[in-house]
Amino acid sequence: MTAAAIEARGLGKDFGSIRALDQLDLDVREGEFFGLLGPNGAGKTTTVHLLATLLAPTRGTARVGGHDVARDDLAVRRVIGLVFQETTLDRDLTVQENLRFAARLWNLPGRLAVPRIEALVRQFGLFERRADPVRTLSGGMRRAADLARGMLHEPRVLFLDEPTAGLDPRARRSLWDLIRRLRQASGLTVFLTTHYVEEAEPCDRVAVMDHGRLVALGTPADLKRTTGVGSLEEVFLARTGHPLAETGAG
Amino acid sequence: MRAVYGIVVRELVRFRRQRARVLASIGRPFVWLIFAGAGYAAVFAGRNEIDYRVYMAPGLLGMVVMFGALLAALSTVTDRDAGVLRMVLVAPIRRSTIALGKALGATVLGTTQAVVVAALLLPLVHLRPSLADGLLAGLALVLSSLALGAVGLVLAASIRSLENFAGVMNFVVFPMLFLSGALYPVRHLGPVLRLVAYVNPLAYGVDLLKHALLGAWAGAGYGGELSPWLDVAALAGFAVAGLVAAAPLLAREGGVTRTAFRERA
Repeated sequence: MTAAAIEARGLGKDFGSIRALDQLDLDVREGEFFGLLGPNGAGKTTTVHLLATLLAPTRGTARVGGHDVARDDLAVRRVIGLVFQETTLDRDLTVQENLRFAARLWNLPGRLAVPRIEALVRQFGLFERRADPVRTLSGGMRRAADLARGMLHEPRVLFLDEPTAGLDPRARRSLWDLIRRLRQASGLTVFLTTHYVEEAEPCDRVAVMDHGRLVALGTPADLKRTTGVGSLEEVFLARTGHPLAETGAG
Repeated sequence: MRAVYGIVVRELVRFRRQRARVLASIGRPFVWLIFAGAGYAAVFAGRNEIDYRVYMAPGLLGMVVMFGALLAALSTVTDRDAGVLRMVLVAPIRRSTIALGKALGATVLGTTQAVVVAALLLPLVHLRPSLADGLLAGLALVLSSLALGAVGLVLAASIRSLENFAGVMNFVVFPMLFLSGALYPVRHLGPVLRLVAYVNPLAYGVDLLKHALLGAWAGAGYGGELSPWLDVAALAGFAVAGLVAAAPLLAREGGVTRTAFRERA
């Protein structure tokens, strides 16, 4: 029996009177590619931040990599990588300087960090630009550098919070290539949040979320079959009564 | 401790890149020396106890420390806006480690700038401190930078956005400077302002610098006004209190998710 990489029980978060996440029960298996699909404001980012110990839960518990997020937050942060919606790199520093900074934050000694950074910038197509300030990089390259930062300490669970937001289709494809290769190379568990159905499609399992609640959970094929529809978009419509992609501002 | 080192190194690399900031921090005290110094020296001219430009020297070093350390600590606001703070918050380190790294970065920057300015300024006003006085001045610079860095962190963590930054400059930085004894002795202030001066970390820093540099004029009433031990204790107190207060504020939820959530909700 493999341990659960992520385990949430009745996990919830309120911001004042706003119920961002109601009560989430969730198990993500080791090595699984798990997708959290929902519109903006569904509670996806809140979920990620709770699991990554950046927020304290209002109710419920969660374990990530076997560590309790409330009691053992340092241990949780040691085994996870997190790529945020917006870049977290210092735009004035070069790619390499950013990665060195991250290596020190993750307590990697230089003899480990230097070859690892070199390998990552090569693997992520950043080698030529490694000495350039992040400010001068294209959106796609910045994302790749963010991902390199998230993978530097070889996490067991990688959280990707809307990783392709604001990227053009080509940059999007190359980012997914990178993520696929990372998954194949190791038993990395990937927890993805997205509001694009096509990004949820290749996931092993998808949790559909709306207004802070889980409305469906299963493999993309199962979800479509049990709902009796042909796409995840229709699954969302059928389960929530409204379309996933809103026409107005989300 | 590697994380603390990493945070300090980042501060230094950033500072080195910002040439305008380096020049401004080195040049500012000389602008004050020339313009404020000329005017006040004329007012002081009738009294022969001390050349006003000599009197200003410790205060100007205090000013360098204040701008250097406080602005370095306040860069935490920019870190939050730019998202860099998130990278630091998701690292497996304690909030107190982050606060310590930021405060030490501010200390190194504040002290270095002040030492460079001192090397240029002191010969200019014919101040030649003995080795012991020089070391005491160095201690004053380090402790003041640390105290102001720590206090700056608390300010930075309490500021919502960069727009409030101007308010901090007007209502914190300038009062702090004028109520520090940098430009005139604190004892000349009225009782209320004097009270405010003594919750001002910079006042203790400048006082300690006067002990180190203006000892020869102590008899005329231009040296340090408080006990140097009190100065040291107060600066250390501000540093510790600032670090303790800043650590939990840095991780405050508003900084990470809540604003993003509000924007969307």
